[in-house]
Amino acid sequence: MTAPTGIPGARFLDPATLARIDNLELLARTVVDGFINGLHHSPYLGLSVDFAEHRAYMPGDDIRRIDWRLFARSDRFYVKEFEADTNANVSILMDISPSMSFRGEGRAVSKLDYARYLAACLAWFSRQQRDRVGIVTFDADVVDRVPPSAKHLNIVLHTIDRITSGKQGTLRTPLSRVAESFRRPSILALISDLYEDPAEVVSAVNLLRAKGNDLIVFQIMDPSELTFPFDRPANFEDLESGERIPLVPDQLREQYHELMSAHLKQLKQRFTDNQIDYALFDTSQPLDYALFHFLSNRERMSRVR
Amino acid sequence: MGLLAPFFIAAGLIALAVPIVVHLIHRERSETVAFPSLMFLRKIPYRSVRRQKIRHWLLFVLRCLALLLLAAAFARPFLSSASQAAAAFSGGRELVVLLDRSYSMGYGDHWRRALAAARTAVDGVKTGDRATVILFAGDARAANRTTGERAALRAAVDTAQPGSGVTRYAPALKLARQFLEESPLPRREALIISDFQRAGWAAEEVSRLPSGTEVTTVSVADPAPANVSVAGVSFQRDIQAGRERVVVSARLTNHGAVALKRLPVKLELGGRDLQTVTSDIAANGAAGVTFTAFNLPDGVSRGTVRAGPDNLLADNAFHFVLSPERTLSVLLLEPVGGSADLSLYVRRALAVGDRPPFRVESRRVNQLTQADLAGRSVVVSLDAGVPAGDAGRALTEFVTGGGGLLVAMGERSGPAAFGPEAAALLPGRSGGIIERATTSGGRLTGIDVSHPVFEPFSAPRSGDFSSARFFRYRRVTLDTVNAKGAMLARFDDGAPALLERRVGRGTVLLWTSTLDNFWSDLPLQPVYLPFIHQLAKRGGGYTEAKAWFSVGQVADLTDPRTAASGNAGASERENLVAQTPSGGRVVVPPGTSRAIALNEQGFYEVRRPGEGAGTARVVAANLDLSETDFTPLDPQEFAAAVRPQARGLAGRGGEPEPVTAAEREQRQALWWYLLVGAFALLTAETILSNRLSKVTAPAS
Repeated sequence: MTAPTGIPGARFLDPATLARIDNLELLARTVVDGFINGLHHSPYLGLSVDFAEHRAYMPGDDIRRIDWRLFARSDRFYVKEFEADTNANVSILMDISPSMSFRGEGRAVSKLDYARYLAACLAWFSRQQRDRVGIVTFDADVVDRVPPSAKHLNIVLHTIDRITSGKQGTLRTPLSRVAESFRRPSILALISDLYEDPAEVVSAVNLLRAKGNDLIVFQIMDPSELTFPFDRPANFEDLESGERIPLVPDQLREQYHELMSAHLKQLKQRFTDNQIDYALFDTSQPLDYALFHFLSNRERMSRVR
Repeated sequence: MGLLAPFFIAAGLIALAVPIVVHLIHRERSETVAFPSLMFLRKIPYRSVRRQKIRHWLLFVLRCLALLLLAAAFARPFLSSASQAAAAFSGGRELVVLLDRSYSMGYGDHWRRALAAARTAVDGVKTGDRATVILFAGDARAANRTTGERAALRAAVDTAQPGSGVTRYAPALKLARQFLEESPLPRREALIISDFQRAGWAAEEVSRLPSGTEVTTVSVADPAPANVSVAGVSFQRDIQAGRERVVVSARLTNHGAVALKRLPVKLELGGRDLQTVTSDIAANGAAGVTFTAFNLPDGVSRGTVRAGPDNLLADNAFHFVLSPERTLSVLLLEPVGGSADLSLYVRRALAVGDRPPFRVESRRVNQLTQADLAGRSVVVSLDAGVPAGDAGRALTEFVTGGGGLLVAMGERSGPAAFGPEAAALLPGRSGGIIERATTSGGRLTGIDVSHPVFEPFSAPRSGDFSSARFFRYRRVTLDTVNAKGAMLARFDDGAPALLERRVGRGTVLLWTSTLDNFWSDLPLQPVYLPFIHQLAKRGGGYTEAKAWFSVGQVADLTDPRTAASGNAGASERENLVAQTPSGGRVVVPPGTSRAIALNEQGFYEVRRPGEGAGTARVVAANLDLSETDFTPLDPQEFAAAVRPQARGLAGRGGEPEPVTAAEREQRQALWWYLLVGAFALLTAETILSNRLSKVTAPAS
């Protein structure tokens, strides 16, 4: 039921275990339970207990926000500003193209299932943070959309629950539509297997970044995609296009590894260059472990920034 | 080559193809593996690698070859001809190299290329082979005896030169056929090196080469030849102030796609440049040039018209021979007591014209002496009969020695007018007078227009004898006993009008009416003057001297008046020596036909031994201009036309050639070799595959 973590004393949930939990809310709660609230900061300044900075008073500012103690010291009017760590919009962008429905041999969950669990966890976790939660599913276009709202957690979970594999997809078109629909900068979590040219992927997600959104990219991969463990000649069928190619895997494995590694490396490099948080999730990994590590890293990195 | 059982080769190929095709394209029935994306797999350049890769090429080739040979062996291949069979199983080749040496091969580098091809061919003669080099133009001759020695063949090729003849393929092919048919060697091959001019092709003359002969052609033809030639020369002769003046005109042709401007054309006479004019000739056109008149020197003059230069120099010169016209001396014999008007018309007619000029004198028949006949060409007896006695004998001797006698009958030409010598001269005996004045007169019919006398009148509208009316003429009984006379014309009642008889070297003509206007109105007709000229020329043995011959023609030396332009008569009892243009000597012995074949372009000098150059006869020989037409024949068509027909129809008359059992067996013996080859390959395959197995087993 648990998987080794490498973290002393920690026990994480195996995806196979998660697969047996029908209730997404329960699943999410199970996974997220134990995470510390406030791992992420709101990008907005507002009323909060966390002081941000002083600013010179401008006519029209609320005089209640004047720091009188500083006035006493400096004989100048300054207004106190605080970081708002609430009220953030969190939207989950979920790729449901056919390639996400892949489940490697001997695996309990498909990539899409894993993505659904991850989305549910993120939604639950965000709601715990008192953020507004929404979801967008897409393949070649936007399929389903739940706007971010503090009251939409159930709708979001319900939407995630009834996700099925869509048709052949791409990133640019649906993401550009999503970018147009968000009027307020949000925290966007993109869940996809990113089977496109890295440059094209980054170009598509940059449409979201351009609006000031905080973007987190989760790439979901099956271990079979990373290791290419096939050993018998077979017809390989592309889940996206349906194209079939007769292949002898033994002869291709090495080159496949090279191409896949290069692809992942390029994605990581380009996301880093564009200051986009990126995490590769392997469906064999316990979800809470992956999530914990990612969020921990993100928190650590945000402090550095 | 054919197959007795072609099914096996088809089946064998299919059997061979099946495993290869299966190996290369067959896909195993494997499960389909769903994979998220093939974007990486698609980039890898090979698919199904193991299936498409052939690991041991040598083994693969060995197995395929073995299968092929087996299939071919079972298909029972056979060779369609004996020569192919012989070539496949034994050596020995009879090669005939036909090298075109017509003068068109002197164009540009044709000859150099032709020699190179011939040398390559003879250098390829191996031990056991034999070869013959045949040089051909208008005729063909073998340049060497059939031999296998390359040095001798090389020498035959190296000493060959282009000649002056025109291309004719038939003699060469006939000679080649002869060599090939006589050859005991099993393989026969004919190599034809030529510029393949269509003009030399006469399909009805060409015979196919013997069965089994491989025919190869080497064409040295220029795709766009350009050539100027002097196609002919004509003369306008005129006598002014006692001297003969000649205007020479030449016709030039341009067989080229480029027009020529201001082409220099030179007239040479007696070895000296006389005049040079220029001419423009259109592309693929012709033009004429006329030189100014010049006085013709005494004696024989050699003339040449030259144009050019260009790629083919031989046809740029046109040679001719000119000599002053020979005057025909005519003696008119008039009857004793006859009117002077009797010879008026004949005298006036002979006074007109200068081709040839006539010198006319007259005598009474009773005054005729032997001295009067000296130097005469022809004697015309105008109603004077033939004298008896010494005059008669002198006249007979004159005719026998080559002189001419024309006897015109009349009022006084009864049987009594002819002495006893006349019987030896005349073609018939004189009879009574036939009176046709009561009717509208007799007409001349039954004219032998093929005879030289009437030849000028043979063409339409070139002379009408039918308008002449004959009111009287003598009945003449033909001397049919000895069949000595020939009737050249007769009247409409069948009576002879003109008879001819050869006496010795002379000619006797008998005209049964008068040549004045008493018995007929012939002198008033337009044909009278040319008719009289023709009678005088025929009697005088005059023939217009030929200014030139063509190479390939034969010049008759027995008759100086037809063969040469000189005046010197050749003794029939002595050799004649002809010097060819290239400096060679040809002896023409007496007793044979005094003729010489003209094989070279230029001037031939014919003389008796010891005779000076000034008295030699000169014959001009020019190239046959049909050779200047470079229109080519497709060498492939040529080869197909001379190649032997397929076996079964190759025999003469299209009858199948008999095939012996041994020959049949030899033709089908290929399967045995194929089978042996297949087993050898399979053995090699077994050894190789065993070795490979040992090498790969430990590795695996």
